[in-house]
Amino acid sequence: MKNRFKDAASYEKMICAGISILGFLCLWQLVVSFTAVGELLSGPLIVLSKFVTSIAEPIGTYTIQLHIFWSLSRVMIGFALGSAVGIVVGILMGWFKIIDAVVRPLFEIIRPIPPIAWIPLSILWFGLGEGSKYFLIFYAAFCGITMNAYSGVKSVDPVLIGAAKMLGANNRQVFTTIVLPSCIPHIFAGLQIAIGTSWATVVAAEMVRSTEGVGWMIIKGQDSNSTVQILVGIVAIGIVGYILAVSMRAIEAKLCVWRVRGK
Amino acid sequence: MKKKANYWYLSILSILAFIFIWWLFCDVLKMTKESTLPGPIKVMETFIKKLSSTAPDGATLIEHIGSSLKISMGGWAMGVVIGTPLGICMAWYKKIDLFVRPVFDLIRPVPGLAWIPLMIILFGIGLTSKIVTVFLSAFVPCVLNSYTGIRQTKDVHLWVGQTFGASNFQMLINIAVPTALPLVMTGVRVALGASWTCIVAAEMLASTKGLGYMIQQARGIFRPDIIICGMIAIGVIGALFSWLLSLIENRIVRGAKHI
Amino acid sequence: MSKDIIVCQNLGKTFDTARGDVHVIDKIDIRVRENEFLVLFGPGQCGKSTLINCMAGLERATQGEVRINDKIVDRPGPARGVVYQRMALFPWLTVMGNVSYGLKMKKVPKKERLERAQYYINLVGLQGFENSYPAQLSGGMQQRVGIARAYCIEPEVLFMDEPFGHLDAQTRYLMQEDLMKIWEHEKRTIVFVTNNIEEAIYLADRVVVMTNCPTKIKREYEINLPRPRDYVDKEFLKLREEISSIVDKTV
Repeated sequence: MKNRFKDAASYEKMICAGISILGFLCLWQLVVSFTAVGELLSGPLIVLSKFVTSIAEPIGTYTIQLHIFWSLSRVMIGFALGSAVGIVVGILMGWFKIIDAVVRPLFEIIRPIPPIAWIPLSILWFGLGEGSKYFLIFYAAFCGITMNAYSGVKSVDPVLIGAAKMLGANNRQVFTTIVLPSCIPHIFAGLQIAIGTSWATVVAAEMVRSTEGVGWMIIKGQDSNSTVQILVGIVAIGIVGYILAVSMRAIEAKLCVWRVRGK
Repeated sequence: MKKKANYWYLSILSILAFIFIWWLFCDVLKMTKESTLPGPIKVMETFIKKLSSTAPDGATLIEHIGSSLKISMGGWAMGVVIGTPLGICMAWYKKIDLFVRPVFDLIRPVPGLAWIPLMIILFGIGLTSKIVTVFLSAFVPCVLNSYTGIRQTKDVHLWVGQTFGASNFQMLINIAVPTALPLVMTGVRVALGASWTCIVAAEMLASTKGLGYMIQQARGIFRPDIIICGMIAIGVIGALFSWLLSLIENRIVRGAKHI
Repeated sequence: MSKDIIVCQNLGKTFDTARGDVHVIDKIDIRVRENEFLVLFGPGQCGKSTLINCMAGLERATQGEVRINDKIVDRPGPARGVVYQRMALFPWLTVMGNVSYGLKMKKVPKKERLERAQYYINLVGLQGFENSYPAQLSGGMQQRVGIARAYCIEPEVLFMDEPFGHLDAQTRYLMQEDLMKIWEHEKRTIVFVTNNIEEAIYLADRVVVMTNCPTKIKREYEINLPRPRDYVDKEFLKLREEISSIVDKTV
């Protein structure tokens, strides 16, 4: 018997994907053109052409690529800081029992609070500008990564630590040559999830209070009853979210060559 | 590994120290304004008051919680009921996979809460728009996890099924679905977290009730004590959810873990 | 007669578990001579691995002591190389990185480090695979890396804990043959644990037969057959018969 889950040939896949996506777009267009839904929702053709023209004509004060740039720069700054601090805190918590005992209860108290619930308080604390957004993304990235770095340290194979000691490594060397490399995959799993949460958080933060960015685009679309603008925003959010996830995976594949089976 | 050093007293000390420092800075030294960070005592008072008082946003804390719970549970249940079977079918039947997956992949990278404005235009500010948004954010993880779960079925197990003359559908129900169960449960748990986050966001943007609405209103009138009460409620309920579901998960998945 | 390198005196080990104390090793005395190939042979779940871990310093004995070259063993260290049953290679390092790891920890200069590691890589027959990662190698090749890694720190004693236990029969024969060649080329004191009787007789200068839990020494055999040995040689088969007749058959 052939393998059940063997993937279809790539040309077959492409054709089917093409048919189904085209079908979906046609259905959408037909519903919009010939039923009452058209009064509320714009069709795919208009959205697509609006998407293309907005590269040259600004929506609000910026063109679409600048909106994306604003949102991305917020995510990147908050994410870089949050993940750096998260990795350090998580690893320290995993390695030193005393730090674990002191820091973890505090961490466990704030962890269940989703980043979005921090939006009102962060606006009170840091104002309506960039500060509150950096804080939110920082928080989103920090929470996701700390836990993964922590469990990465906790799940280091004790046999490998024994082997390193047998080969003459002291405690510091065990930490740098065994513990750190073996928690890299866990950290990357955390980074993967955190980049997604950060992206969603920036959209939410921009929807609540902002003057630019993709989140602002869709909320302004709602205010002016323009589904075209909302859908253009959603397309942009989807594309960027996808690129972020894919590039994260590419970096991981590059850094963790040793996990790929060669045969 | 024999003698685990026990630092539980440090953990308790650390929480007490945190509250003490908070109290010291806010209530004793008065280093923060009431309108940015109130002390722990003030938050406690507000919490107790808000349980029965409708001021300043027209509903008690209990009513807000009830409203958020109702919508998120509704959307979540719909997401599980529709998403899980769809993921299973996509993984098991190649035709469905080839045609449905591309469209699914199209909406997958869009975070659930980005749909809020569109849904508000389509369905108005009421219940429907929120339920649909929550549904979307619960739907995606359910499909993804059950899909991956079914794909983990080992060919050997299917061959055993075939030797015993099982039909395609019997193999799906008796071999593939049990294999997928742990991941399906993970999907259900992730979906619950996602829908809880999504409802808070939806309520902040457009609502007249709910925890998200409550904290957003409190921001407008500079009442951080209410915001913190709301955040605590959101966190506690979220933690309770994941605790409950992991209990159920352990019960259902017991056998499957040992394979 | 060469001197005794390892001396175990009155060695005992008890685990206290949730279900009370479990007595695993019971008052064992073993002496290992310099450059001797000693095989500890016993049935499935007896305390062989625990015994070798105590001798290598990976676990602490609860009774008695182990001395190697008159120094008490109480922690793992580079004087005692260990080859593990589960390979325990560092998956993020290449073959070269794994073999030279011990030298790097000792801060041996890079050039010398690579030369010495290369020597042992060649010795185990892995030339050409220096830059492969463990996940890219077959089980037998991975265990060769394990052997080269333990050899490379040039320890006083080598401990091997069922190193071929996870390999298929064909590879296992091949590895036994090659281990013999390596050992005759670079003589070391080796303590080798196995539950395979042919492997024991093929490799050993001396076989120590252990009993079931709690582990005690049942009997010792000096194996004086000429090397390389033949699995179907008459003397070989006779020894095999004799040893298997005294081994505990109960689980």
